[in-house]
Amino acid sequence: MQITFKVYRKDPEKDGKPGRSNYSVELDEEATVLDGLLKIRDEMDDTLAFRASCARGYCGECTMRVNYKACFACTAKVSAFTKKSPEILLDPLRNIPVIKDLVFDWDAFMWNKITAVKPWLEPDESSTNGENLLPDSTMADLRKVMSCYYCGLCDEGCTVLPVDFDFLGPAALTKAYRFVFDPRDKAGRERLKIAEKPKGIWDCVHCFEASEHCPRGIAPTERIISIRDKAFKVGITNEKVARHHTSFAASVKESGWLDEGRLALESEGLTNIKGLMKLLPTAARAMARGKAPIPYLHPKRPGAEQIKKIFEKGEREKK
Amino acid sequence: MFTHDIILIGGGGAGLRAAIAAAEQSSKLSIAVVSKVYPMRSHTVSAEGGTAAVMRDTDSLDLHAKDTIFGADFMADQDAVEVFIKEAPGELIQLEHWGCPWSRDADGRVSVRAFGGMSVDRTCFAADKTGFHMLHALFQTSQKYDNIARYDEFYVTSLLADDGKVRGVAAINIYNGRLEAIAGKAVILCTGGGGRIFPFTTNAAIKTGDGMAMAYRAGVPLKDMEFVQYHPTGLPGTGILITEGSRGEGGWLKNKDGYRYLQDYGLGPPTDTPVHRKMELGPRDILSRCHMQEYAKGRTFEGPYGHYVHLDLRHLGEEVINKKLPFVRELASKYVGIDPVYEPIPVRPVVHYMMGGVHTDMNGSAPLEGLYAAGETACVSINGANRLGSNSLTECLVFGARAGRAAVQYAAAQGAPSSQRLEALARDEQQRLDRQFLRKEGGKEKIAVIREEMQKAMEDGAGIYRKEEDMKRTCQLLRELRERFSNIAIEDRGDVFNTQLTAALELDFMLDVAEAVAHSALNRKESRGSHTRTDFPKRDDENFLKHTLAHRTPDGPRIDYLPVTITRWQPEERKY
Repeated sequence: MQITFKVYRKDPEKDGKPGRSNYSVELDEEATVLDGLLKIRDEMDDTLAFRASCARGYCGECTMRVNYKACFACTAKVSAFTKKSPEILLDPLRNIPVIKDLVFDWDAFMWNKITAVKPWLEPDESSTNGENLLPDSTMADLRKVMSCYYCGLCDEGCTVLPVDFDFLGPAALTKAYRFVFDPRDKAGRERLKIAEKPKGIWDCVHCFEASEHCPRGIAPTERIISIRDKAFKVGITNEKVARHHTSFAASVKESGWLDEGRLALESEGLTNIKGLMKLLPTAARAMARGKAPIPYLHPKRPGAEQIKKIFEKGEREKK
Repeated sequence: MFTHDIILIGGGGAGLRAAIAAAEQSSKLSIAVVSKVYPMRSHTVSAEGGTAAVMRDTDSLDLHAKDTIFGADFMADQDAVEVFIKEAPGELIQLEHWGCPWSRDADGRVSVRAFGGMSVDRTCFAADKTGFHMLHALFQTSQKYDNIARYDEFYVTSLLADDGKVRGVAAINIYNGRLEAIAGKAVILCTGGGGRIFPFTTNAAIKTGDGMAMAYRAGVPLKDMEFVQYHPTGLPGTGILITEGSRGEGGWLKNKDGYRYLQDYGLGPPTDTPVHRKMELGPRDILSRCHMQEYAKGRTFEGPYGHYVHLDLRHLGEEVINKKLPFVRELASKYVGIDPVYEPIPVRPVVHYMMGGVHTDMNGSAPLEGLYAAGETACVSINGANRLGSNSLTECLVFGARAGRAAVQYAAAQGAPSSQRLEALARDEQQRLDRQFLRKEGGKEKIAVIREEMQKAMEDGAGIYRKEEDMKRTCQLLRELRERFSNIAIEDRGDVFNTQLTAALELDFMLDVAEAVAHSALNRKESRGSHTRTDFPKRDDENFLKHTLAHRTPDGPRIDYLPVTITRWQPEERKY
């Protein structure tokens, strides 16, 4: 079949302005997008830059967008993208500095962030010389998380990274999970401290896009939630968002509805003078518009006792 | 100029293991890992089935050694094999402590499975993505050391040697095209094999024999290059590997009549449950030949990508397949649209591994001061004429670590290289690249055309079955291609991510490696292990129980030989 690839081009040594090159290529039914790219490079245009290594979906190197959908060029069958039109658009991943054509800056995008979560095992010094005895179910969970290709598709799908490029992102935080939940690792608390820093677990908005995008079914969003749960469990709850969570739940549990004034104060932290000062203008405006009654009272709602019971039941079950 | 104590070229299993071994020796040492791809894109990720070591009381070091030597058709150096076997278990346990998620038995111990040519279950695995998980564990651990610097996406073009010693490397920073001199007291080559000299291979596109060719050009001989392993079970068309683990778990090979044909070739009798070293658990070289003979008898299937047979896993059941071979299921459905739970998988032999490589001793030391090699790049030799499945990942670990430690010891006694001298050498290298590629005018030949013709010549002359006239023609063609390569056309003159330049450099290296393979094969007038000649069908210990050494000369390889070290296992007929 005859396919027209419309490929994103950018040459930093020329004007650096993005454009597109069109290539018409004859490919067989089974061909992948990478087959098309290799054919273009071999037969039509040697100057086209893209990355590829294993060429069979193991290594994550050829991640790009095909008709705006992020995937691996080496596993994306051309036929799946040409049902409606024999044209295929190829672009680098979104929101990442492009170096040339389909080549983008992996370091800034992902590798540096993965290094930031200290991605190595810190075993107990007193551990045995021989193998650790561990159930395969534990290993199976780690194998699942470790089956991450470092392909960046979860980061590509993330809705936080486009507004905050410094967010660690689902790939790095999933890597943190891999160590937090390894029974051989003894750096658990220190790891949670790293993960809870600003730009870490609490900046995730759990939109589940990362889980939707992951080609390995690793479910990065759920992994981030698991780290948060663990942080709560061991009492690492000092980050503002964690306090916000705690206060929100406590308020509803006690009164049956949200106490917004208390939420604001407790989220900032009662000893955080600077943070509390920042609330004053908002509080003043609220009072001026009659939205903060004086005296500030927060009565229980009818049925609050039943809501409390629901909370307590949930807490018992979680234990 | 960058300066380090130890330079690793390649960031796969052997390279990272060597880097960690060196870093562990002293935090004062500075170590550089220079790789043309990010380490996690290295080909070690593709290894599936497992990694062998004596981990159980039912096994013994002698038994593993014997299986390896027998599998190698007695071409392995037995002293090296003994060292290898002895250090293997420690390496696997070390990896466990670094976080490798090995599959476990019910009692919590690391599981072992059967593999081809092995007398007992001794192949440890992490489901069927063993290399992937090993590389993960090594990559993660390597980041712990502040004294390991990484040069990701730097393409090493040449070793820099002066006064008979390696002093560093010249490498192109692919991001900006600058050629950098990286000074080091010792250099360890860990660039893998060169399966891409063949058209149909399990090997990643990056496996172009760079390290082998660089050593060869620096005057180091390549050893036993004629031994190229075909893996019997690759997917037709793509060459994607279906792990030997699938046969270790009990898979069957069947011809087009549904007959388990291996019983006709002395590997029987067929049994329902797998028996070590028999039938589907025979070694790879023999199984690949059996396939070709079935083809000759007209008993294979014909498809759009040539002849194939069936690998039948249906009798294993969905549960075993999901637990032990999930990736096989995924690959089969993704690439050939087949669910192995319900249908057999089409498979055929495919180029997989090079037993030969840079001539080294058992410390990874090559006959050029300061140069080391480990992993598939190197030929120690423990694999001889045919490697047993699951020995190669272990080899990366054992000899990666040994080379790392040996290089540290060597470097400690060396003074710092002269930066002036190195910069001069790098300038020479820059001039060579300019002359040959970047500033060359004219040029008519296309990289893709020469590469394709080289691959075809290799398949025609140096495939599973070889004979004199075919090999001679291949040698001749390779000479002509080398000539034509000097007339290569380079259109991309850019500095940033010039992938045409790297493709040209890779082809340049591959042509050297291909020639070494073809000439070594032509000169070995016997059949042994993976090297099978129709004109010399018998093994000839009297004349050829010796390693081939190919030396580079302007007129092509010069071949001489080296004795094989035999200690406790006298050569005998290799029958399974």
